[in-house]
Amino acid sequence: MALLEIDGRVFDVDGDGFLTDPQIWNNEVAELIAKADGIEGMNDKHWSVIKIIRDNFEQHGNAPMIRKICQETGLKLREIYELFPLGPARGACKIAGLPKPDGCV
Amino acid sequence: MKSADNKKRREEALELLNQAENSKLLTNLNACVRCGLCAQSCMYYKALNEPRFIPSAKVDLVSSIYRRYYTVTGKVAPALFGAKSLDQDMEERMVDLLFGACTMCGRCVKHCSIGVDIPFVVRKGREMLAVMDMVPKSLQSTVDAALNTGNNMAIPQEEFVDTIKWMEEELVDEMGDPEARIPLDETDKELFYTLNPREPKFFPLSISAMAKIFYAAGESWTLSSKFYDVTNYGFFNANNGEAAQIAGYLYDEIHKLRGKRLILGECGHGSRAHKWEGPNYLKKGYDFDIITVVELIGEYIRTGKIVLDKTLNSVKHTIHDPCNLVRNGGLVNEIRFIVNRSVSDLIEMSPYGDDNFCCGGGGGSLAMSEYNDRRLKIGKIKADQIAATGAKVVITPCHNCVDQLLQINHTYKLGVTIKTIAEVVADALVIEKRIKD
Ligand code: SF4
Ligand code: SF4
Repeated sequence: MALLEIDGRVFDVDGDGFLTDPQIWNNEVAELIAKADGIEGMNDKHWSVIKIIRDNFEQHGNAPMIRKICQETGLKLREIYELFPLGPARGACKIAGLPKPDGCV
Repeated sequence: MKSADNKKRREEALELLNQAENSKLLTNLNACVRCGLCAQSCMYYKALNEPRFIPSAKVDLVSSIYRRYYTVTGKVAPALFGAKSLDQDMEERMVDLLFGACTMCGRCVKHCSIGVDIPFVVRKGREMLAVMDMVPKSLQSTVDAALNTGNNMAIPQEEFVDTIKWMEEELVDEMGDPEARIPLDETDKELFYTLNPREPKFFPLSISAMAKIFYAAGESWTLSSKFYDVTNYGFFNANNGEAAQIAGYLYDEIHKLRGKRLILGECGHGSRAHKWEGPNYLKKGYDFDIITVVELIGEYIRTGKIVLDKTLNSVKHTIHDPCNLVRNGGLVNEIRFIVNRSVSDLIEMSPYGDDNFCCGGGGGSLAMSEYNDRRLKIGKIKADQIAATGAKVVITPCHNCVDQLLQINHTYKLGVTIKTIAEVVADALVIEKRIKD
């Protein structure tokens, strides 16, 4: 466990910076995590990705496949990698307040 | 009750060192002459500068236990002969150094004056920790996902199938050929191809790239919709029973589908675990051919099955050598052969090839959140190597390396693109349109 401080707010996170308690997540928290990763000001495209990831997590307890993110947002794969330079897992899932997915990510 | 349990587990762990007939183990436990030559070869010591990170110090943890329990001098006068008991303090240090501070990259072996196989001893230490149930939680959960679902990201079968169908539609569009396919569960195919689950889950461009290459080569191939995972994290958590179960999934599936050659997708440790360690885990040889996709692509180029135009990749590229494919897998020249045919401007890192540094994410460390901080600090060495080349694209045939490189790229603001070999080859492909009559 570790602590992450952003703009005076302190969060419990795992060693990779993912929230320990996904329940404390809200839009403001998302913006703070994004900021800590160098994304200043999330636009509509960022939010559309984050919303799908978060909804999937709340319904199924895990991150959606990238196919679902692309098909539901209408964004191209490469656009998503540009929006989240750390990728869908370490970038977008972290901002959406999910625990770190297993595997090589 | 708990302490009786602990005692029993420790005894089991110690038993792993009680192998008088295992000359490889004994040699490696006894050979180090403490010359210190290995120190500068290790990223952990170079980046963090503490003596406990020197490779020989990691070996010494395990050999000091060996001396304590299995040598006369160590039993009689432990302090005098550097013999140490396996107690809680020792266990904690072993977890911290053998799981948390060694990527098993093998660079130290090359620099050791007498060739002590340091990662072999590290893995033996990990085996001891595994029987004592002391594998870091995040690493174990990746292994558990693979054991329980057949892939280390626990992707449900239907979702995998939907993803492949989606990729197939894109392939049809891109090739302009309604018969372009990404075959699933087909029997009697020449090739049984495998993937790293992070490809279907989050990074499928390498699947499209490979599908394009197979299309261009006119290959007969298939993926399994259930057992396609090329990784084997049992190689890292060092639980040999679990490693065998995971190796068995691919073994059984290629038989079920009657594939002729197993093609290992771009994954360093997976290639090593399946190609070299698999028969040991399973205690039987393979009755099918098994090669890495790097070798397969090399074969396609040599036999003219695919044609490449390297001017299509004209920005400056460099290569990151995955430890398990290059230093420990002998593919240094094969990778250069392919890259030189696919890109027109290649610059090597310094050092490169067999002496290249690990990305910093090997040995299972990418899956271990516990050591994230350390992993990014040692990644600075790779970041500096990349920055010094001035390259815009870093090519590496391992998805685990790709992820570590993505993070390094972000952390150290390198501004490069990371690609797998399949991606650069696919970008250089010259495909004749198949006109149907
Ligand atoms: S195998 Fe690599 S990480 Fe491990 S001690 Fe040797 S040089 Fe260091
Ligand atoms: S270089 Fe080899 S012999 Fe020398 S200290 Fe390191 S492991 Fe021991």
